[in-house]
Amino acid sequence: MNDTTLRPAESSAGRSAAAFFVRYGLVIALVVMELGFAIVEPLVLSPGNLLNVLQQTTYIAVFAAAQMVVILTRGFDLSLGTCVSSVSVASALVMTSMVAADPGNLPSALAMGILTGLGLGVAVGLFNGFCISVLNVNAFVTTLGSFNICFGIATTISDGRPVFDVPKEFSELMYSGTILGVPAPVIIAVAVLAALHLLLNGTVFGRSLYIIGGNPRAATLAGLPSRRYLVLAYVLCSVLAAVGALMLTARTGSGEPNLGGNVTLQSIAAAVIGGVSLRGGVGSTYAAVLGAVFVTALSNCMGLARIDGYIQQIILGCVIIAAIFVDRLRTGAR
Amino acid sequence: MSATTLDSSRAARGRHGWLANALRKIGFLPALLIVLVGLLVAFEPRFMGTFNLFNVLRNSSALMIVASGQMLVLVVGGFDLSVGAVIALTSVVTAKAMAVTLEAAPDDVSTAILFGVLAGMACGFVTGLVNGACVAFLRISPFMVTLGTSSIATGVALLLTNGIPVYGMPDAFVKEFGRAIWFGLPMPVYVSVAVLALVWFMQRQTTVGRYIHAIGGNMQAAMVSGVNTNFYLILAYTLCGMLASLTSILLTARLGSGQATMSGNLMLESIAAGVIAGVSLRGGVGRVEMVALSALFLSILTNAMNLLKINSKIQTIFMGVIVVAAVALDEFAKRRSRDARGR
Amino acid sequence: MSEQAGTLLELTGITKRFPGVLALDDVDFELRHGEVHVLFGENGAGKSTLINVISGTFAQDKGRFVFRGEEVRHLTPHKARVMGISPVFQEFSLVPDMTVDENLFLGRERARFTLLNKRAMRATARQIIAELGFDLDPTRKVGTLSRAHQQMVEIAKALLTDVKLLILDEPTASLTEAETTKLFALIDKLRAQGVGIIYVSHRMGEIKQVADRITVLRDGRKIATVAADSVSDTELVELMAGRKIDVLFPRIDHRPGERLLDVRDLTLVSGAVREVSFHARAGEITGIAGLVGCGKSELVRAVFGLEPIAGGSVSLFDKEVSSFDPLAMLRAGVCYFPSDRVAEGLALARPIRENVSMAALDLPGFARGQVLRRTEERRAVQEIADRLKLRPAQIEPAVGRLSGGNRQKVVLGRGLSRDIRVFLFDEPTVGIDVGAKLEVYELMKVLLDLGAAIVLVSSELPEVLNLSNRVYVMHRSRMVAELTGADINEPAVLACFFREEPAAAAA
Repeated sequence: MNDTTLRPAESSAGRSAAAFFVRYGLVIALVVMELGFAIVEPLVLSPGNLLNVLQQTTYIAVFAAAQMVVILTRGFDLSLGTCVSSVSVASALVMTSMVAADPGNLPSALAMGILTGLGLGVAVGLFNGFCISVLNVNAFVTTLGSFNICFGIATTISDGRPVFDVPKEFSELMYSGTILGVPAPVIIAVAVLAALHLLLNGTVFGRSLYIIGGNPRAATLAGLPSRRYLVLAYVLCSVLAAVGALMLTARTGSGEPNLGGNVTLQSIAAAVIGGVSLRGGVGSTYAAVLGAVFVTALSNCMGLARIDGYIQQIILGCVIIAAIFVDRLRTGAR
Repeated sequence: MSATTLDSSRAARGRHGWLANALRKIGFLPALLIVLVGLLVAFEPRFMGTFNLFNVLRNSSALMIVASGQMLVLVVGGFDLSVGAVIALTSVVTAKAMAVTLEAAPDDVSTAILFGVLAGMACGFVTGLVNGACVAFLRISPFMVTLGTSSIATGVALLLTNGIPVYGMPDAFVKEFGRAIWFGLPMPVYVSVAVLALVWFMQRQTTVGRYIHAIGGNMQAAMVSGVNTNFYLILAYTLCGMLASLTSILLTARLGSGQATMSGNLMLESIAAGVIAGVSLRGGVGRVEMVALSALFLSILTNAMNLLKINSKIQTIFMGVIVVAAVALDEFAKRRSRDARGR
Repeated sequence: MSEQAGTLLELTGITKRFPGVLALDDVDFELRHGEVHVLFGENGAGKSTLINVISGTFAQDKGRFVFRGEEVRHLTPHKARVMGISPVFQEFSLVPDMTVDENLFLGRERARFTLLNKRAMRATARQIIAELGFDLDPTRKVGTLSRAHQQMVEIAKALLTDVKLLILDEPTASLTEAETTKLFALIDKLRAQGVGIIYVSHRMGEIKQVADRITVLRDGRKIATVAADSVSDTELVELMAGRKIDVLFPRIDHRPGERLLDVRDLTLVSGAVREVSFHARAGEITGIAGLVGCGKSELVRAVFGLEPIAGGSVSLFDKEVSSFDPLAMLRAGVCYFPSDRVAEGLALARPIRENVSMAALDLPGFARGQVLRRTEERRAVQEIADRLKLRPAQIEPAVGRLSGGNRQKVVLGRGLSRDIRVFLFDEPTVGIDVGAKLEVYELMKVLLDLGAAIVLVSSELPEVLNLSNRVYVMHRSRMVAELTGADINEPAVLACFFREEPAAAAA
């Protein structure tokens, strides 16, 4: 319950300070971190590096937003990372084999590759959503299962090796190309995230996700088609993951069966750090992006400070637990 | 298993007939196991080869130990995603500790072994303690906590080794312990039997087992009955971590080197073994003898797939499907029995 | 020693406040050795809060707690049990997947170095069960037992230790007549041994049978403590219901019109409702009264499609309903307002606006297809908030920040967000303060004037009696009476409960 009715006069100053930190704490932490690392390594604040961070952020932001969609519904997607891997490999395979068969017809090869990736995303999302919403299987178990299924798919179809010779036009389209000087990944990410924002805030579906996460029983009583929307939420999550996977594939120029290695963890970390509540019903695209910026900046700073990649993984784990703890503090008052 | 089947079985007897009855008498899982072994013996001569059987026994022993730890956590209503990482970390730490002590005092093999084993067990102990404390005191979702600690433990393991296997363990440890055959059976079989017996004893004959079940069955009831719920929650996670460490030490001893990539599929398989054995994800239900059976079943199944030359990646897919299907079936059965009871 | 002769427990000035509700207001209570002391009052009068304070579940905000002559501070459930305070709650403290004897000994197993002495425990369990005359198998799993049997386990569990103070919360609610007789014999035996017993019950008959003294609570305050043999039933009921000076029920002009809702022979899969028929007409409030657990709540939930139906029919506007689900019912003009608003009504983390509009997102006024019309939504919800006198009249704060009364208004606002003709209210004033209660009643009046049909399910008798044009009485899953006009009074309703009991015993 809230304590405002209990002790209305007490510590309103303390509360507003707490509210301030809850709202802007992350931005403050981000600035402090950047400045702190800048002392060790001035390169951190160079325009080139900041631009680099921004580019890097685009990928994690898309993944964090994907994860957010299901966390909003009190769910969770552990399979996100291997879904990314399998999309990368599958789309790369389709493109390379189509180009090999008919080098002249590049556009249709690219289109088929992208469609395959997105289609795989839909399939994974349908599987997750169906198991969770219709069969009532716990979200963690379902996505743990699909994590392995996707891993198996990614490594089987690629034989565990990267798929090279992805057409460079694909990389141009989704990575190196620019429109009016703005890099393609930024354009794609902004477009996707803006669309997601509109979807969440401007449609009945988006609104319902918040309500289902806020209180599933209340959503049922209000006559919302919870089951259907829950399935759609998982589909949306996996499709967003697929978009991110295509972007990453364009960057590496090959289909990588291990592309999604850390993506699950990073996406969860970014979403939770950004302020998406694991208890459902609270979160926004803005929060996901902010969390993504933080996570990217953190690993960028650590990289520039030459902190070992393995230590980075350890720190990421600690940050996740800390973020969840903060989330508990934030919602614990209720 | 649960008493709801009592009622439904009476209703179902008329409809299904002898097969269902036989299944119910033996139990679904043992029946499945018998069928599987029967098929293998009949159609796959390589299955009965000593080498192959030893392999199956070794693998199933490892799985049984991890899975019985995972079961304890499942019974308190939790979940431990970090067992795989603990196995990796323990392997590396054990090997490193042994190698370092042996280097310092080349003659004192037994000290090196003792030191290594203790260091390895400490990994599981600490990880479990952290998991349990976060779940009990901070009330953080066990999935998230163990996901976090799993990332940390993996990171530490990789950091210690840079991904390169750690050699330099005493020969005695590897040859006379890890690859030992005692009375005609591989050493891990005895260890796993001892562990299973201990866990069984704890579950059935001690207050610890009672409280662990009560916490998972109805946390509120356990609390008002005066059970120190936090203590037993932490205990369950700690035991789980230590059993994972024990498994890792056995595997490391057999392999002869500490590896940060050793866990393989054990985390997923331990959960699969649990849910196939009917351990409820909502807590409160789970018997270690059933977990042991399903671990054996999974190991034989994996072996069969290997003999049939099914790609290991496809086996991973298969394992994922099995986990989801087992839980889905459990949910389905529960819903049906609820409906039946309502009438 | 300040201990009075024979005093086991003495509470002075106990106050307990929950957000938005003053649950206990300066309550004094005394229990003597060997006494059965009945707590009597309506739902929400503070009985359960009081027994929760005594058993250590809640800490009082103010007041002295003296047990056996010593002041007790920082009581926990465990400490209470160790001291000999054993509560038997309505929500059982049992582990469903464990057997009866395992449950009996939970938390105080006979064990040496954690090693269980199962044989001794099973023997003691059998012995206790035999002593109590319960028909229980100690090896059965508790989850497979009926509610009555679970109740027996709970009682046996409470008596397993050296109990000095036994709390029984509606212990006979799920017992048969024969079992009740045994329980009363047991109570007599314990009383003779000097055990103090706090007994919570609504049932007049058994209160007179077991009580030495009766303390009546109302709205969190102690109204009176009286000797059981010195009061009549009517006096007790008057004390309980009171002539509530603080809640003035509004005068409601009922103008019964056409039958909007017609329920015939409704039976639920769960068995909570059996062959119940009732109807509700436009322009009147139809009350449904009954004790806790009689099935009245399940009845309206079933109409809204929340409980599976086994038989019978429901007609709306003379058309038989074929598919029961909330959306279909909302579209047909029926809205249900749940009693547990936190569990079922509200998404606490979301703003008031979203909570009000969530049942109307299929309407063109709120969304064109999938696209929300946020400006229209804001305007419509603001209008509803003003009509409901939501304070403060902002619609963007999260609902979790509101008090109980305002939360209820948000839930009720949902009924105004679309064209609803039939309002199903389930305990609409539980947990909200007097001012908000009045506003809820006023809202009902407004709805009636607009031609709505209101079904009011409430365990608060005065509420049902004062507001309804017709009152149905439910008892043990069945409809036992329909009262109209001058027949709508407390004795008549209470008579329905008592009349049924001998009949049930005979059956």
